Amino acid sequence: MQPLLKVENLVKHYAAGRSAGTKVKLAALDGVSLSIPSGETLALVGESGSGKSTLALCIACLERPTSGNIWFEGIDVTALDENQQRLLRPQIQLVFQDPASSLNPRWTALDIVSEPFLVQRHFTKPDRAVRALQLLDRVAIPRKMAARRADELSGGQKQRLAIARALALEPKIIILDEALSALDCSVQAQISNLLLELQCSLGLTYLFITHNFAMAAHLADQIAVMDRGRIVESGPAENVLRSPRHQATRSLIAAMPRFIETPGVLVHS
Amino acid sequence: MRYFICRALHAVFLLFGVSLLTFLFSALTPGNYFDEMRLNPQISPEAVTALRAQYQLDRPLPIRYAHWLNAVAHGQMGFSFAYNSPVAPLLWVRARNTLLLTATATLLAWLLALPLGICSAARFGRAPDRVLSWTTATLLVIPDLVLALGLLILAVRTGWFPTGGLVSVGFDEFSALQKLRDLTLHMALPVTALVLATLPMLVRHVRASVAEVLDAPFLRAGAGHGLPEHKLLLGYALRAAANPLISLFGFSVGTLLSGSLLVEVVMSWPGLGPLLLESILARDLYVVIGGVLLSMVFLVAGNLFADILLYWADPRIRTAASAK
Amino acid sequence: MKQRRRLTKWLVVLLILHGIIAAAGFFAPYDPVEQDRERPYLPPMHIHMMEAHGHFHLRPFFYPLRLREGSFDQYEEDNATAVPLNFFTRGTTYRLLGIVPSRIHLFGAASARVYLLGSDAYGRDQLSRILYGGQVSLLAGLLGAGITLFLGAFIGMAAGYFGGWRDDLLMRIAELFLALPWLYLLFALRAFLPLSVSPLEAFLLVVVVIGMVGWARPARMVRGVVLSVKERDFVRAARGFGASDIYLLRRHILPETASVLLTQATILVPQFVLAEMTLSFLGLGVPEPMSSWGNLLATLQQYNVLVSYWWMYLPALAIVPFFLGYLSLASALHERTSTYKIDEKSKWNLS
Repeated sequence: MQPLLKVENLVKHYAAGRSAGTKVKLAALDGVSLSIPSGETLALVGESGSGKSTLALCIACLERPTSGNIWFEGIDVTALDENQQRLLRPQIQLVFQDPASSLNPRWTALDIVSEPFLVQRHFTKPDRAVRALQLLDRVAIPRKMAARRADELSGGQKQRLAIARALALEPKIIILDEALSALDCSVQAQISNLLLELQCSLGLTYLFITHNFAMAAHLADQIAVMDRGRIVESGPAENVLRSPRHQATRSLIAAMPRFIETPGVLVHS
Repeated sequence: MRYFICRALHAVFLLFGVSLLTFLFSALTPGNYFDEMRLNPQISPEAVTALRAQYQLDRPLPIRYAHWLNAVAHGQMGFSFAYNSPVAPLLWVRARNTLLLTATATLLAWLLALPLGICSAARFGRAPDRVLSWTTATLLVIPDLVLALGLLILAVRTGWFPTGGLVSVGFDEFSALQKLRDLTLHMALPVTALVLATLPMLVRHVRASVAEVLDAPFLRAGAGHGLPEHKLLLGYALRAAANPLISLFGFSVGTLLSGSLLVEVVMSWPGLGPLLLESILARDLYVVIGGVLLSMVFLVAGNLFADILLYWADPRIRTAASAK
Repeated sequence: MKQRRRLTKWLVVLLILHGIIAAAGFFAPYDPVEQDRERPYLPPMHIHMMEAHGHFHLRPFFYPLRLREGSFDQYEEDNATAVPLNFFTRGTTYRLLGIVPSRIHLFGAASARVYLLGSDAYGRDQLSRILYGGQVSLLAGLLGAGITLFLGAFIGMAAGYFGGWRDDLLMRIAELFLALPWLYLLFALRAFLPLSVSPLEAFLLVVVVIGMVGWARPARMVRGVVLSVKERDFVRAARGFGASDIYLLRRHILPETASVLLTQATILVPQFVLAEMTLSFLGLGVPEPMSSWGNLLATLQQYNVLVSYWWMYLPALAIVPFFLGYLSLASALHERTSTYKIDEKSKWNLS
């Protein structure tokens, strides 16, 4: 069975200004390949600046790669033109790291969640409101918050809102770009449980991008490690965790907080 | 150095652009200088045509522009129809008169603004500062047209100052001292109007820049060392606050020729302003272009001057530029 | 909170000032074109409450002026006849706001004309002319500002959103406009257009010319806002739902520019009113018999007027409260939206 998403040799260069007369190119992605089967979660782990966000934008069709291919459900997305891509984008949704900037602070929660319907011109106005409220229920945001402006919500609520919005157009795959990194620990736990539950009930596929190996281990079926624009190691989560082969993987694992089990006490080392 | 060459080239492009724009304007305007003449029954149509040919007004636009560029390269600026003389000497005389006015006014304004602004910043929020702020706010609210006219009426009703012109009749027969006195009396009103118009904004900027700097730790350290206040203010605070002020000074220099148009017209000062106005009205093409270009040269030179000053005064800019 | 109160205070002040001018017909005792050739250049009349021999009246009154014996331009009060002021009196018909016809004026007099601010060469009441003139000048300023902001917003959004060569080209042109001294540009633009046109055409020409002069600065500011908003994640997210450019511009980017445009408006309107005054003062603006603050001042260019008839200067002061209101509003708004503080000192900067 073909994977839902397949990335082959993706390269993305940015022009990074001039120095001594010649244009300097920054290679954000330097030949990335991965694949995600339907219904699974792939965690992409790497340090800041390793190119994770660029990969996310390319897969979501918000940036054009310099070379390489992206296959979504067997369709070569990179070969499509702008209009065709626009039709495909709703199926691949993105949840960003900072909900303060990914949600328009002046809009109400209801407006934010119903925006996808507005853009795609689905449903009538009252219908949109009904569906939006249903989505809010799905992510456990109380209905009375629906009329509040986005900047009046807490961090956890904002991120739930972002997830609700991402669900609106019933995407096949959701890319979570460091979506939990800006939240408090307890809130992280709540939201990751929400994500797992949604995956179960809706059959979603996740590309979970993070720099936190512990989170990746908790949520993912497969883990790919990224370093300086390349995938340096990948495989089932268990294997990568227990027997890391690349230096980058090892340093990321070493950065995880460890828990020593002594009888009765859970101590942080 | 590359930086300055870049800016200089940029400036030249700007001047080209402006001259081209003004020329294009003339092509689009309905009417030219000789239309007035055509209306005059005493002048035959043939004479008008002949005059037009003489001034090359019947040639296509690009050729006229090319000719004019050529003339400028040789230091001439075309010919004035209304004054029946070359444009360049006409412009120099008027520009000189304008500069006399604006240079004096600008100098005075800055000489007043610096101490007033610094004192105001040093006494931030207290009585002298509030009085000054209130005064500048009041002055800012009065537009320069209103100011100039008001001063004019004052002059007329008190009779202390002459109400127009550069010098009195019979100027040439005055002794040197009398000449100076006469000129000063004539300049008094326009200079006052200009100073009152520009002073409030300057004082505000000086005050803001210095106040921003006064909070800095290095000044408090200096005070702790026992440095007297005036040394702190002049030697340290002013230097730190200098950057935006230098830019502002460049702006002041840049508007030396163009900033006094209204005051000159109202006070009948024979400067560049009134000349430009009547040339525009009379469609005296080359005078207009020459005048506009001259003002632009000053504007551009003012910017470059400020850049050079900044480069010389601020070591941070020097290191940044040489690192490139 | 204090800011809010300041803002509201100045807004109310401005509304009142504009309201008075808008209802000029009510506040003005006479029609601005109504002449009285028998009474040229009358000085402002004094309003009294107490008669010469100590008799106190509850209703204010005035003495009509008559020529002094042996002089032909000196006036004195005619103490014999006291003419009372009537309030909410019926006078000449006018149209309130151009629509509703009415005959009620705030004040007037029955048997003689009251010139609170004097009269001009044709015996026209200066107070009425100032009030009606305000309508022309203010409207020119407001419309001009509207055009400029519209142009500036459009060009700024196009340049900021689409970027590339379009951005470069538009910003170069903006630099050119910014570099030119605006007064020169104003004169040149106006003077290069036909000079002898009807008052209405002249007014429209003035508005269009003023509007086209100042677009560069708002355009640059809007472009700045657009550049920063364009990269925000919520715009990216909307693109992720398949939003078109127009949608993004209309729904997300335009609202962000609103505060910048508003601040610019409060600075531009008084400048443009002044521009109209300057143009009309120099004969390039609104011609007679339409009155505007500018052409009311034009008579001051005659020496004899300057010397003898000081009250002809009063139209110049009419703009001062408006300047005060608008500039105070601008500074209150500036404090409120200080995230978009654009350095006024760099306004000369060519880059």
